Amino acid sequence: MIRMLLRVLGHEYARPMRRTMALMTTTAIAEGLLYALLVPVLRALFGPEPGDARPWLVAFGAAVAVYAALRYISDLNGFRVGTTMLRGVYHRLGDHLARLPIGWYGAGRVGEVSVLASRGVLQAMSVVVHLLAPFISACATPLTIVAVMLAFNWRMGLAALAAAPIVAAIQVWTARSTAAADAERHERDHEASARVIEYLQAQPVLRAGGRTAERFRLLDDSLRHVQRASRRTVLATLPGVVGLTVTVQAMFTVLLVLGAYLALGGNIGAAEVLAILVLAARCADPLLSLADIGGKLRATRSELARLDTLLRTEPLPEPREPIQPVRHDLEFDSVTFRHGDRTVIDDLSLSVPQGQRLAIVGPSGAGKSTLLQLLARFYDVDAGAVRVGGVDVRAIDTEVLMARIAVVFQDVYLFDGTIEENIRLGRPGAGEAEVRAAATAARLDEVIERLPGGWQADVGEGGALLSGGERQRVSIARALLKNAPIVLLDEVTSALDPVNEAAVHEGIERLMAGRTVVMVAHRMRTVQRADRIVFLDGGRIVEEGGHDDLLRRGGRYAGYWNISLTPAASE
Amino acid sequence: MAGLLRPHIGSFAAVVILQVIGAIAGLAPLLAVVELGRTLLSPGPIDHGHVWTVVIAGAAGLLVRLLFTAASSGIGHVLDGQVQLSFRRRLAARLGRVPIGWFSRRRTGELAKVVGEDVSAVHPFIAHTPGELVAAFVVPLVSLIYLFGIDWRLTLITLIPVALAVALVPLMMTPSRLREQEEFDAAMGRIASSVVEFVQGISVVKAFGGSERAHRRFLTAVDDFVRVFYRWVRGVSVIAAGMQLALSPPFVLLVVLIGGATLITSGGMAPADLLPFLLLGLGLTAPVAALGHGFDDMQAARRAVGRIRDVLAVPPLPEPANPVAPRGHRVELRGVRFGYEPGHEVLRGIDLVLEPGTVTAIVGPSGSGKSTLVRLLPRFFDPAHGSVLLGGVDLRELGSRELYRMVSFVFQDVRLLRASVADNIALAVPHAGRDDVVRAARLANIHDRILELPRGYETVIGEDAELSGGEAQRISLARALLADTPVLVLDEATSFADPQTEQAVRRALATLGGDRTILVIAHRLETLADADTVVVLENGSIVERGAPAELLERNGKFAAFWRSHRSAITAEAATRGGVLQGDEPR
Repeated sequence: MIRMLLRVLGHEYARPMRRTMALMTTTAIAEGLLYALLVPVLRALFGPEPGDARPWLVAFGAAVAVYAALRYISDLNGFRVGTTMLRGVYHRLGDHLARLPIGWYGAGRVGEVSVLASRGVLQAMSVVVHLLAPFISACATPLTIVAVMLAFNWRMGLAALAAAPIVAAIQVWTARSTAAADAERHERDHEASARVIEYLQAQPVLRAGGRTAERFRLLDDSLRHVQRASRRTVLATLPGVVGLTVTVQAMFTVLLVLGAYLALGGNIGAAEVLAILVLAARCADPLLSLADIGGKLRATRSELARLDTLLRTEPLPEPREPIQPVRHDLEFDSVTFRHGDRTVIDDLSLSVPQGQRLAIVGPSGAGKSTLLQLLARFYDVDAGAVRVGGVDVRAIDTEVLMARIAVVFQDVYLFDGTIEENIRLGRPGAGEAEVRAAATAARLDEVIERLPGGWQADVGEGGALLSGGERQRVSIARALLKNAPIVLLDEVTSALDPVNEAAVHEGIERLMAGRTVVMVAHRMRTVQRADRIVFLDGGRIVEEGGHDDLLRRGGRYAGYWNISLTPAASE
Repeated sequence: MAGLLRPHIGSFAAVVILQVIGAIAGLAPLLAVVELGRTLLSPGPIDHGHVWTVVIAGAAGLLVRLLFTAASSGIGHVLDGQVQLSFRRRLAARLGRVPIGWFSRRRTGELAKVVGEDVSAVHPFIAHTPGELVAAFVVPLVSLIYLFGIDWRLTLITLIPVALAVALVPLMMTPSRLREQEEFDAAMGRIASSVVEFVQGISVVKAFGGSERAHRRFLTAVDDFVRVFYRWVRGVSVIAAGMQLALSPPFVLLVVLIGGATLITSGGMAPADLLPFLLLGLGLTAPVAALGHGFDDMQAARRAVGRIRDVLAVPPLPEPANPVAPRGHRVELRGVRFGYEPGHEVLRGIDLVLEPGTVTAIVGPSGSGKSTLVRLLPRFFDPAHGSVLLGGVDLRELGSRELYRMVSFVFQDVRLLRASVADNIALAVPHAGRDDVVRAARLANIHDRILELPRGYETVIGEDAELSGGEAQRISLARALLADTPVLVLDEATSFADPQTEQAVRRALATLGGDRTILVIAHRLETLADADTVVVLENGSIVERGAPAELLERNGKFAAFWRSHRSAITAEAATRGGVLQGDEPR
């Protein structure tokens, strides 16, 4: 656990962490030791001369003062170190997220990462502030007390010591046996929340089929699975909790019996027996709290493990000696790319001379968008190479590569902010006039006119306050402003209505002028003006050539072209 | 909340009663030590029999405590599972009845969090609090009464640490502390939203080299949070440390010993009477410690319950008491006005009749209200003013079952369930036969693709195979075709994922026809040309309407739009070298 914590934190925190733990241990031992003074105090008080207790009491008071000081320092230190670590982990996480390949950010990641990065980190770090000190004290203090008992009466001390290995064994065993149940529970929770999201998003359709909550079996099943998993978790923890209680209570009972036996036999003074039993009670409480602390530690551990997995995900390697490409032609050289066990791109070779336009056409799932993503190095290829200006993209510095490429996606994400800020993202140093010019070229000016607040209008989270077509235009303006020599277009006009499409097309034409372009599209109007067209299916090139050429050939592409232009009536 | 818990009241009572018995039995061994002390310290010969009775009583008490607290905790956790399940079912049932439009203004993730995490956050309320709070208050109370019976002076002295700790509580509740707590929550929220932005926008961020910016925003939020957190901790930690210290066993023991020694040396108390204070006195701090300990969890649980209650309080879409049956399926919109937010109308007085057996195509610039208009038909929203009638009946007077038997829709945001392909297609018609499902799939141009999947129609989407956007849209079209309703609402944008989908949508429009009432957001000129009526929407109002040919002659907005696009189509068709179809409206 501590090792994982240190791995998550980074090893520069190993030292303060060790210091904190040492301080906590010292405090816990001090607490155990000061109870030793109870024995002479009680011996005096229960004896014939209670007044003799005074010097011992003074000593006890002094010991408590030392303990108080230690504890105060240790508490504050815990808080301070915890806060520093919190900041450290957040920064590490942020830096790491920025370096992970885009391919890593799949559909489910947003929820996962946002939970992890907000509450998750805090919970994981609460170990240091809230759980470590009680845990250490629940272990070290009883052990110290047992040592004190041994010093005063070896038989009773041994009886108490016998419980130690059992308590330790139970802790280890519980941790192991609950891990499986915890994992299952987490998985069920995850599944149920996916079902809930599905249920919410599919509401219109579900209602149309009269599938209300009670009758939507998929959801109800997963909710019941959650309940069953949580019951199993309880059952898995119960033996540990009961076992711990049994052990601690058995120890106390044995001490009680042994104490009575020894006292009755006259082998030990009444005051000693009573003092040792008071010590035993002091031992029992922290030991019993171990079950509770253990449960909390386990919850934290799983959070920590998720953080650890995330931080150990490898970012794409950066080249040691980056090469600057001079030209802007593009090349796929026997590229193979797999996603899981599916081969998405299968030994594909292709080149685009500088300043030319290549269109990629093909059925869904053919790997069209993947080609664009490989060019922008969202992923690395499994075999072969992708080259820009003759240089392998893996040998180019990411920043340099990105500076040469402008991408317009089908689904555009805008940052919460004004339209102007979102366009300026294309080139942060651009002047006011340049931003306006890009916006006009993308026909955004008419959108801006209509919006309340105009240029300063807020676009909402993800650009939610703009329509799809409007977001698309912002994204084109962004790309225009960026003025990169390579342009990648992914199904840009596919979801637009005729009015928006005309506007977007104008912008696209301006964007493509004089640049190396690769576009994925099926709107044939865009495709037919490309210098070359590639028909992709199953990750391979099925046909390639110019538009007229391909039509004459009468193959797959021609078939597509005909489908898209034949009205339904003639079928 | 109370209503939700009522069926479980018996189990709750069992949890509490078992816990009380267990906790009080837990005092037995301590009392046994006290009694042992009294016997051993009393002058004269020791009664062996009495000593052993005391020891056995103490051991028995331990056993009772073990059995009862284990039972209480077991029942508590099982009960917790049941309560959570019933909460989740209630929430799901309610969410299945709220207006669909209500969802569009909320993030699905947040709602899922209510059903998932927030219900889980109630856990301490159910599983721990009743038992633990009872133990934390009943045991000290019993001990207190017992100790008062032995020596009231020393009892009061023993309470000094508790009084000190309680005196510190108000310092933790000062306005500035509470303000810090609020700042803390706000700063946490900023981290969450900056992370969402960071992750969702990552492809944009990377593609535009803006990673610096979003990254910086996250780090700023983090530093901000850490600063607030540190200030909060620094403010609280001194007081918290003070409280912890006052309640810590060494300090309590010190107070008891000083008090006891004074009383014993002055001859005011028998030495043996000190023992119960050493053993039970420490327990008196439990309530204060419990309050501090469970406080954060309780606060979190209370906030979670608040959010759950908010969702349960959303009024469901009103269902008519006496549903009226529609006559036919003419759709009428009368003076419909609608806005998502007050003061910002999206539809400003729409009057429109959709005759059975006709196709009505809507066209207009983005933001003109097209999507909103078509979503009123399946009653995602109710209009603010005016009404939508189906077969002469206001949608609000139509039962929702009846409505969905009449209206089906294919919108852009397709959602497939993690279930078999066949189930997905038959979602709206659960009892449809396989033949019907296959026929719908063929019509939607997806049958062949389904046969290519690993388990054909039994393939579970998202587990056995993933479908592309276009394929998902064709499944959704097959859904609507299978439902075979007299009214169909379609957003043609769905058709542009790939040519097959486009073809499927066109074929559906052409073959469905018959007596159906069809409303379509048109994205293709051919659709506009083939429509019976074209409606041009601008800024929430209908600016032109009529047959396409008529509108062209009128030379207004539609004609201008048409001309700008025809040139492009002509260019396309010329390249193709085929006969130009659909370049002139009928």
